[in-house]
Amino acid sequence: MKKIITALLSIAALNSVTVTADTLDDVADRGTLRCGVVLDFPPIGYRDANNEPAGFDVDYCHDLAKSLEVDVKIMPLTWSERLPVIATGRADVVFGGTSDSLARARTVGFSIPYAIYYSQGVVNSKSNITSIDDIRGKRVAAALGTLPEQEWLKIAAKWGEENLYQSYQSENEVFLAVAQGKADIGLTTNTAIKPITQQYANLEAGPRMPWVADYTSIVGKRQDVTWLNYLNLFVTHQVRSGRYQELWDKYVGSDAPDLRIPGVMY
Amino acid sequence: MFDYNFHWRPVLKSFPDLIQAGFVTLEIASLAMLLGIVIGLCLALMRINMKGPLKWFAVTWIEIARNTPALFQLFFFGFGLGAFGINLSPFTIILTGLSFNCAGYLAENFRGGFQAIPVMQINSARCLGMNSWQAYTRIVIPQVLRIVYYPITNQMVWAVLMSSLGMLVGFKELSGETQFFASKTFRVFEYFAVAAVIYYVIVKIVLGASRLLAMRLFRY
Repeated sequence: MKKIITALLSIAALNSVTVTADTLDDVADRGTLRCGVVLDFPPIGYRDANNEPAGFDVDYCHDLAKSLEVDVKIMPLTWSERLPVIATGRADVVFGGTSDSLARARTVGFSIPYAIYYSQGVVNSKSNITSIDDIRGKRVAAALGTLPEQEWLKIAAKWGEENLYQSYQSENEVFLAVAQGKADIGLTTNTAIKPITQQYANLEAGPRMPWVADYTSIVGKRQDVTWLNYLNLFVTHQVRSGRYQELWDKYVGSDAPDLRIPGVMY
Repeated sequence: MFDYNFHWRPVLKSFPDLIQAGFVTLEIASLAMLLGIVIGLCLALMRINMKGPLKWFAVTWIEIARNTPALFQLFFFGFGLGAFGINLSPFTIILTGLSFNCAGYLAENFRGGFQAIPVMQINSARCLGMNSWQAYTRIVIPQVLRIVYYPITNQMVWAVLMSSLGMLVGFKELSGETQFFASKTFRVFEYFAVAAVIYYVIVKIVLGASRLLAMRLFRY
């Protein structure tokens, strides 16, 4: 009888200590953080003069690795690779201007927002576009699958101008299309305007788009709540330590937007 | 570790849009093939029968179309011409790019077809009083089309699959539409799996139709 009780107790004890390793454990154990970044998003993610990954997001990868006291492996991604690298476990975390839409949140896990953008147009200097209404009848371009594209298509549908919309594989091609005159206005994020208008002589900052700000979050596995908790804490620490403002100032060159959503507690 | 649960419902909901995009793919491939066949036939004849600039024009076209990646050709018609201020619409870019490429490949198929027709047949046709145009349109080309029929079918399949490059120059066909939905919902695996099935079905339909057509055309 005693033996049986001991056996049962030991099984119970074993069960209670059985925990599954989460990404946090995996990263600490591996000693390397595999960090996906999109380098099609200057100045947040891009390649510098030496063709090395650089930008706000890349520095955030380094900071996250430093907080975990591990090395970092930067994985350059295209926009559409952001989900597969997380789902297949090739990357632990993805930075890369990922809008935290509810549709996407049914597939991947999001941290609290770590950067906020708003959508703005970049226009060809010959296009005479200064306000949203000027865009009527003009050709609009954006990168495939981005928030500006999804929001613009709603307006285009209202105006009956979906046929004037062009979507390109990357933002670089959007800017090239506007510079060459294939499109009159390219939709992008406010942060990209400065570097792009410096790169192309005939591009100018266009109107700000009328839809809500673009809250972007760090992406991890949806199931891995402990890891997402850690990422949340990391985001708040970046703000508290002043690092967020420092990096925003370095890359974007202005006051970092307040990450707080008015009237919401999270 | 692959830690992912498949959701098929959102894909089924946007299925009509994907099918619609599949028709766009089929449409652009068919148009490109029609243009490609006409131009390819001319190029082949120019290469075989002409001398001087016309011959070299044909040879240059064929060499470039066959020996450079289709993607580069598309970028040339898109951003390459754009650099000189010539802006084509995304539809025109993909149509010219694909037709250019198909014409190059088809010209070589046609050349093979022409060379398989004995010269004697042309001579005999001329002896019977046909002029050169009649000899070609009534005797040679019908036989050439028959010889190159299956290689043409192959090229058609190639055109359907290659039209997916259209999304790189701003043309939304099946691949572009798939990526749009995949990016919206992040259900990448599901959408691309369904798109692959649609491509497969399109190609099967193309092959089936060409077989039926062959049965009608080549009865005797």
